[in-house]
Amino acid sequence: MTTVHLSNVTKHYGSTVAVQDFNLEVADGEFVTLLGPSGCGKTTTLRMLAGLVEPTGGRILFDDQEVTWLAPRARNIGFVFQAPALFPHMSVADNIGFGLSVKGRDKAFIRQRVDEMLDLVDLEGYGKRLPAQLSGGQQQRVALARVLATDPRVLLFDEPLSALDKNLRDTLKYSILELQRKTRKTAIYVTHDQSEAFAISDRIVVMNAGRIEQIGTQTDIYLKPRTPFVAEFIGANNGLNGTVVAVDGSGDDAVVRVDTGGLLLRRRGRTRLTPGQAVLAYIRPEDLSVLEDGDGRVHLNTIEGTIDRLIFEGASAQLRVEVAGVEMRADISGGQRLALVQREGRVRLGFDDVTLIPSEAEAGTAVVTDGVPDEAGPAA
Amino acid sequence: MSAASTPRRRPLLSSRRLATIASHAYIWLCLILFVLPFLALLSQSLGQRGGASGLGNYAAVFGSFGDNLFWSFKITGLTLLIDLAACLPAAYALVRYPVPGKRLLFSLLQLPLYVPGAVIGLSLLLTYTFVYKIDSMWGLVLAMAVGSFPLMMTPIVVAMKDLPVMFEEASECLGATKWQTYRRIVFPLIGPGVSAGLLLCFIIVFNEYLVTLFVHPPALETAPLKVFNLVRTNGLAPTTAALAVTMQLISFLAVIVFFRIFGTRHFKGTYIL
Repeated sequence: MTTVHLSNVTKHYGSTVAVQDFNLEVADGEFVTLLGPSGCGKTTTLRMLAGLVEPTGGRILFDDQEVTWLAPRARNIGFVFQAPALFPHMSVADNIGFGLSVKGRDKAFIRQRVDEMLDLVDLEGYGKRLPAQLSGGQQQRVALARVLATDPRVLLFDEPLSALDKNLRDTLKYSILELQRKTRKTAIYVTHDQSEAFAISDRIVVMNAGRIEQIGTQTDIYLKPRTPFVAEFIGANNGLNGTVVAVDGSGDDAVVRVDTGGLLLRRRGRTRLTPGQAVLAYIRPEDLSVLEDGDGRVHLNTIEGTIDRLIFEGASAQLRVEVAGVEMRADISGGQRLALVQREGRVRLGFDDVTLIPSEAEAGTAVVTDGVPDEAGPAA
Repeated sequence: MSAASTPRRRPLLSSRRLATIASHAYIWLCLILFVLPFLALLSQSLGQRGGASGLGNYAAVFGSFGDNLFWSFKITGLTLLIDLAACLPAAYALVRYPVPGKRLLFSLLQLPLYVPGAVIGLSLLLTYTFVYKIDSMWGLVLAMAVGSFPLMMTPIVVAMKDLPVMFEEASECLGATKWQTYRRIVFPLIGPGVSAGLLLCFIIVFNEYLVTLFVHPPALETAPLKVFNLVRTNGLAPTTAALAVTMQLISFLAVIVFFRIFGTRHFKGTYIL
């Protein structure tokens, strides 16, 4: 049972900043994912946790033990690489037993542990095979068994599924989660794939350009993005530049009115925004619905535009509408998507939710999104 | 049936068939060119001059020339060991660590390959005579090692470069020390490079006579040097040819044995990525 603590961890390569002032607490048994585009420093952070890269500054603690400068072998970690990295000249059993054998455990113990691990990853009877005789998914499962065999304190995953095909990725990500739950190991997982991060994490750390943009649960990150980067990186989003024109009322019933140059948007709820402030307004495509004549539903915001095109995607359809010179995307599901196939001309769209982020919000600064108060950052 | 539907007969000499014949002919020509000198030597070794003839010439190889063959094997074996001891750590360091001026260093290490054997021999002779006064077998062994280590180094460096560093990282994350990682992961996986280096060095050192001519101690005569000396003083006697054929067979056997041992285990593209 281990907690992981990173404090002001920094890595510079010459003048290039790979990771800057990274602070994170991972609770015992927690599954935390570092999510971000390539080159955002997530893998470097993971490699610093493993001891494969030395940080330029900061501290890393496992429980109360400082491991910042320890060699990988002294940290007792389990690192799963992007490729399975099984030793090609050793059998599956020898691969799984490697960690125990280099620590001098006796042969009978190793054999028993290898059998347990093969059983755990559903590969009983595969012990004598060479890695080359296994499929990609089986190899990655052996890689998992190999790290679990040594009973590591922390599991580290570096995009372990990125080399596999989609179906295999889907099944394996749940296997990883199940194994982590079963073994109750603290796990840190790196990926650029949002759906993977959303499917398996307890918490997600969104990173960009070597800094943390936001830490939170799936719903925090999706519904309450704190920076423009998070709003644009996670899911599809309609983004508009605007200015706060007025704040009416106060408390939970406060209504912020924002002018986006042609469109007037309203947002209800607590706020710390003030009139005149520049903001970025984000509207999720799935929050937009098409309003028919005589529709009884009442929305805080109603906008009108011209249908540009409809992209039919099966279960849902993407409606592209030009509103006041800006193309907006609305994701339509259910029967309405079929009715829209033949539709042309003007259309009315209604929505209630708008995310407003002050334009100066940047990664690493303590900007609080104008949203409902939450534990990660109280709003005014 | 109309004429158009009759299948056309295949011409006797189509361009494709001509190309096939030409390429076969080329392969045979090359084979003959390569094998002819060996066959000539073989026939010479079975000829008659003096007392012995035929296979009798070969009795001399294991009788009076036995010593020369023994020295050749001993010198070659020791040279291989020294080359291996020098090149394994050097190749690892060159590939895995940021050595300043790496490319230049690697080019300089290749130098013995481009320097004529006579030049190496002469310079080593000068060095040994005036500086070290080495007058034993070790002078020759060291001379051979200096001349041949690039042949050992290059394939090992290439194998190291081809080996993804991920395997070493995986091993260290599993708790292995650097030495355990090297012994159990790196060394077996650079096997193809090591065996190629051993093979190249064996063939070159075993058959080397020019450097030996300069630095060999008076009492020590390797098999190739013996052949050279005998031909110079005696002409090509059948017994000398028999020694030459034996050496050629040993080299040939070495190639086969190396490929049998290492080929099956290591040449099959063992890396999975």
